[in-house]
Amino acid sequence: MSKRSNDGTIDGDDPTSGSDMHQTQVAQRHYESNGQGELTTAIVYAIAEAEGVSPREVKSPPLYESVDVPSIEDAFFGSDVAGGSRQGIGTVEFQYTNYLVKVRSDGWIQVYEQTETGLS
Amino acid sequence: MAGEPDPDEEASFDVSASPEKQLPPPSILEIEPVYEALGHPRRRYLCYTLLEDTEWSLSDLATKIAAWENEVPEHAVTEDQREEVYVSLYHAHVPKLIDEDVVAFDEATETITTAEHAEQVLAALEGMGASLDTNQETHARSDMDEQEE
Repeated sequence: MSKRSNDGTIDGDDPTSGSDMHQTQVAQRHYESNGQGELTTAIVYAIAEAEGVSPREVKSPPLYESVDVPSIEDAFFGSDVAGGSRQGIGTVEFQYTNYLVKVRSDGWIQVYEQTETGLS
Repeated sequence: MAGEPDPDEEASFDVSASPEKQLPPPSILEIEPVYEALGHPRRRYLCYTLLEDTEWSLSDLATKIAAWENEVPEHAVTEDQREEVYVSLYHAHVPKLIDEDVVAFDEATETITTAEHAEQVLAALEGMGASLDTNQETHARSDMDEQEE
């Protein structure tokens, strides 16, 4: 058993492990998996709302470089395969610039602003 | 092991071309960029546009793809439709095609051009043609602007 490092990076299992990080939800958006749009777009729109800019102004880095969105889409919203649904249940979290983004299998995308509450 | 030896067959097998000689050229075997590039409808649309012209501004591409997807002329594309496609190209499909060396992207001018693997992807697109993507093929080969009036 190895201990998780506590150097401020976000671990997939426990994003709140850094005790000096405070999270405030700043935006949320619902992704309709049967709608026209893509999950990537929905996430970028949510981030844009959090930043208070137009989606076109969310530029760097491309979401592609931060997280494998097609895999999330496949796991949570993928089409059925022989034998039944493959829809996973859960939440995927990743960091994009100074935001923590959570994508839930019910389609909700939540964006949290992370602020340091000071050194202990 | 002897069984029923057939000298003729054995001989012909021995002298037949070595496996290497029967393989197609290595470039044909590199099918991964083709699959990866064409594995999503929007990337197929994007690659179709590259058949037409090898240089595109991201904005023009978004307009064209939005027009195709919504089956409207380019001038009827709404800002919302254009923005949705623009964002998905910028954050998902263009970086993917850059990874596969199919396109290059100039961030300053937001211009897309063809890259090393574009040729085989476009060849594959032309080869599969209408059989896989009737609508996209039709769209790609028609000039929406001509139909406006």
